[in-house]
Amino acid sequence: MLRTIGFASLMSVITLTSLGTTSASAEPLKVVASFSIIGDFARNVGGDRIELTTLVGPDGDAHVYEPSPADAVTMSKANVVLVNGLQFEGFLQRLVEASATKASVVELTKGVLPIKMKQGHEHTAEAGSDDHNHGDLDPHAFQSIANARIYVKNIADAFCAADATGCDSYKANAEVYTAKLDAADAEVKVAVAAIPEDKRIVITSHDAFGYFENAYGLTFLAPEGISTEAEASAADVAALISQVRGDKASAIFLENITNPRLIEQISSETGVKVGGTLYSDALSKADGPAATYIDMMKTNIATIKGAILGS
Amino acid sequence: MKHLLASTPALAVLLGFATASAFAEEQTAWRLFVSDHAQPIVHAIDMETGQKIDTFNVRAPTSLYRSASGRTVFAVQGKGDVISVLSSGISFGDHGDHGDISMEAPKLLDVSFEGKKPSHFVDHEGDIALFFDGEGKTRVTREADILEGKPAIREVTTDAPHHGVAIALGDHVFVSEPNLEKPDELPIGIRVVDRSGASVGGLHDCPDLHGEASSGNLVAVACAKGLLITSTGTGAPAINLLPYADLPEGKSTTLVGGRGLQYFLGNYGPSAVVLIDPKSDDAFRLIELPTRRVHFTVDPVRAKFAYVFTEDGQLHRIDVVAGKVDASLKLTEPYSMDGHWSDPRPRIAVAGDRIVVSDPLKGVLHTVDATTFTPTEEISVEGKPFNLVAVGGSGEAH
Repeated sequence: MLRTIGFASLMSVITLTSLGTTSASAEPLKVVASFSIIGDFARNVGGDRIELTTLVGPDGDAHVYEPSPADAVTMSKANVVLVNGLQFEGFLQRLVEASATKASVVELTKGVLPIKMKQGHEHTAEAGSDDHNHGDLDPHAFQSIANARIYVKNIADAFCAADATGCDSYKANAEVYTAKLDAADAEVKVAVAAIPEDKRIVITSHDAFGYFENAYGLTFLAPEGISTEAEASAADVAALISQVRGDKASAIFLENITNPRLIEQISSETGVKVGGTLYSDALSKADGPAATYIDMMKTNIATIKGAILGS
Repeated sequence: MKHLLASTPALAVLLGFATASAFAEEQTAWRLFVSDHAQPIVHAIDMETGQKIDTFNVRAPTSLYRSASGRTVFAVQGKGDVISVLSSGISFGDHGDHGDISMEAPKLLDVSFEGKKPSHFVDHEGDIALFFDGEGKTRVTREADILEGKPAIREVTTDAPHHGVAIALGDHVFVSEPNLEKPDELPIGIRVVDRSGASVGGLHDCPDLHGEASSGNLVAVACAKGLLITSTGTGAPAINLLPYADLPEGKSTTLVGGRGLQYFLGNYGPSAVVLIDPKSDDAFRLIELPTRRVHFTVDPVRAKFAYVFTEDGQLHRIDVVAGKVDASLKLTEPYSMDGHWSDPRPRIAVAGDRIVVSDPLKGVLHTVDATTFTPTEEISVEGKPFNLVAVGGSGEAH
């Protein structure tokens, strides 16, 4: 079982250079969000005072994203860059270097109590192609709505530091949005409570739901590790298949950002039907069921509950 | 100037001492593999000392390619009808919070691939496709199997010998389609075949196909009117044409893929290169050079930079974000692009913090500090040092 361990002292703030306060900005604050979930938070806090660019869009996988020269140009013009941190964005350091941005690069997991990645998913891939690893902390803190509140507060603080004139607006927006997060959090807890405790083990593609597990009391197993970049070993897959056959897992799910092949293989070998798609590290497109963070959390628990209770 | 085969200089002794004292911690190692323009040999040079480690005999003068992992170097001998494989002797293990570096002597492996007129080497995540023009045939293998000395070889055939290329992408192989009416001319498209050898879908038109590169999850193939771009990842690969659009008349025939930033750098006419950002609305940015282009490559460490050597003897640094040449450096006497395309001319490789440029007519490797873009030492190499590949990096040594 995953243990929650405080590692706040180990957290690294990648860059904290300040562009300085924009006290009377007629121009909207130029904000870059590293991926779609953070982009949604930023939109809710910044409203029409910000000009937002999201690097990794809907259904995109930030673990393996390759930034382009155009991204570097966007970054170089930004006032504020919002990132997850905990080494979630493997591309971040080289993009910051290439862009020579003078913006504040703000890690939104600052203040979150990080949890360790699950055992048994150490990286074994050959290096040499790209410098890329995720340390031993699980970066998917946004999968707990309590943590999302911390992200939102950090965004409001960052916007206030960069645009003092708009600070009251940012704080008011954050307050309104946090109330919506609280309501969604309560909804998820009610939904989980309806699932029998002996049916609360499910399988997904990669270890993206550790914080969800800790916050809401479900157990997630995955053949891939913290990053989608790490391939599952044959032994990992065999162990999962064995667990499903032993009726220890109630449902299995695809993820919107990962290759469905492994999950389909597990489904095929165990006869357990795939219960649907969970949104792990990215929102859906605008016409999908998880176009906002709150919709994503509600959709995920509805999908899980439906698959388990229907099985 | 450093001379190969010379006694170990005092500086190297000092460097060696410093390295040894820090052996249990961080270690940086780079090796340069250098082929000769006229002789069937490959030198391995330790870039930390400038000393030659070994020289390997192959069958014919060779082009060199390194695998993505850097564990192997392929010597493609078009006139020797063989591809030889060297172990670089440097490998890395990724342990999440740190990487380990392992070092052993480079060696010529007891693995080679025989076939008529080998031309192109393409590595995609350890799946290696070797194309043999004289047979119109691809041999697909895996680096891991080669290193174990037991390469399983899968052959993909085409309808005629031709100057082609193949790319192994998971369950599929992209292979060039010969021009059956004029087999001596460039291929006319790309065909996708599955593991059984059966075609998947129809022919993807790509007249005058020449030039391939990958950057991140994108693979690009250069055609007469644009690039075929393939995005790999979930599901079957999709192929789309990215037309040259507003560029002046011309085409790319050589591509290099960006590392760290996702882009391609291609030739375009004799005196320009083109930066290609397939995800941008402004996908093509043409960069004019002062004289004709000799060679170009990307910097795998400093993602913002690429380098071009021109026939006036200058090395140019390209800022790929700004889309312009931001520094130039005179390194050699002029190398005219008149004459045969394969005459001995400089080639570029990046070895960590050093850019290396071969100067075959002087028997010298010029090195340039990649951070300051200023010349540093020269390494003399017997013969005509020509093709270069660099392998290395940093890690914890145990």
